[in-house]
Amino acid sequence: MEEAGREKEVVTPGEVLGKASDVRAGRGAYVAPHNNLVYASLTGFRRIVSPPPDSPDQDQRPTVEVTHHKAHGVIPEPGSVVLARVTKVMAKMASADIMCVGPKSVREKFTGIIRQQDVRATEIDKVDMHLSFRAGDIVRALVLSLGDARAYYLSTAQNELGVVSAESTSGATMVPISWTEMQCPLTAQIEHRKVAKVGG
Amino acid sequence: MEYVSPEGLRLDGRRPMEMRQIRAEIGAVAKADGSAVFEMGNTKVIAAVYGPREVQNRSQQMNDKALVRCEYSMANFSTGDRMRKPKGDRRSTEISLVIRQTMEACILTHLMPRSQIDIFVQVLQADGGTRSACINAATLALADAGIPLRDLVTSCSSGYLNSTPLLDLNYVEDSAGGPDVTVGFLPKLDKVTLLQMDSKLPIDIFENVMQLAIEGCKAVANYIREILLENTKQLEYRRGL
Repeated sequence: MEEAGREKEVVTPGEVLGKASDVRAGRGAYVAPHNNLVYASLTGFRRIVSPPPDSPDQDQRPTVEVTHHKAHGVIPEPGSVVLARVTKVMAKMASADIMCVGPKSVREKFTGIIRQQDVRATEIDKVDMHLSFRAGDIVRALVLSLGDARAYYLSTAQNELGVVSAESTSGATMVPISWTEMQCPLTAQIEHRKVAKVGG
Repeated sequence: MEYVSPEGLRLDGRRPMEMRQIRAEIGAVAKADGSAVFEMGNTKVIAAVYGPREVQNRSQQMNDKALVRCEYSMANFSTGDRMRKPKGDRRSTEISLVIRQTMEACILTHLMPRSQIDIFVQVLQADGGTRSACINAATLALADAGIPLRDLVTSCSSGYLNSTPLLDLNYVEDSAGGPDVTVGFLPKLDKVTLLQMDSKLPIDIFENVMQLAIEGCKAVANYIREILLENTKQLEYRRGL
């Protein structure tokens, strides 16, 4: 990433940033089809980013983008790792509310569904949802797809994914003892979960 | 009645081609994603923008673009005689529609499919030209919210009284019953997106009156740009960059 040499310039929507033949429109910019000019669509600082020299395509135009001061809330997208709180466990699936996308917390409410076949990578048809999650668990999951109109489809079918924090029936935070079990430090009771491998 | 004196001054002391003083402020509503107050003389409106957010009513959701909604209302105390008007009367429904269509034309709605943008404008003081002031406030609020816009849309009105084209009519001139042209304009793209007129005008005079309103729009646009740049610089300064 390379900055243009001169001082950062503030632009407002509608200002011309350059010709479409010279620059590419990035975030906060658009190309008007009738005259092939690049216009700003946001208020903020104009940045010119040079293309990476080893980019595969022949297009070596720099990209011009405008960054606004207000950050929009993060939105889960396929491939992102999210933290979610399980709200309901059913025989074929569990529903969860997404709380964080990567390191950022979400501003709106997004719901996700972990289907039975997405809980673990092996023996996917023998999964018992009630031995994998319980309501209130915090799980780390991968967003598989945008899902249906109501919920994202989530998956925990990796070693690093699954329950990262859970409370036992006596109210203590449990300690993981294997990839399928967690133990309560107060009562030494063992409960079943699909445990995530955290750290080393 | 005489609206332009022999000396060429209007009732409030302005010249025919003079605008009222305009003032704008960004960030008047803390909870909204974007907000602004806009004043044209004694007309004062407040605008708040929420979104883009999830569509509340699923049946209105569109898969290729964002839904834009607008609600216009007048505060009970905004006029001289306090009126208890029911919410959603014909006048405010019409102005809501006009503002919605004008804003929709300048928002890049195709970038935000399956979402909705709500624009709320309320008139705090009414002294003519509320329609224009609302559009200007809404533009500022949308720009503050960081919603991608084709251009800053601005609006201004003009009229024709005592054989003189007048820029930016106030309430007294507005209620004279003469022609009243409201124009919405994209200044950098040089395009008119809104054109309304009450009463009638010969076509050659109409051209002059409309051109006057367009000049007013350009002046408003320059001011709005200044405010936006000032606001961005101020925020940057506070961040200490």
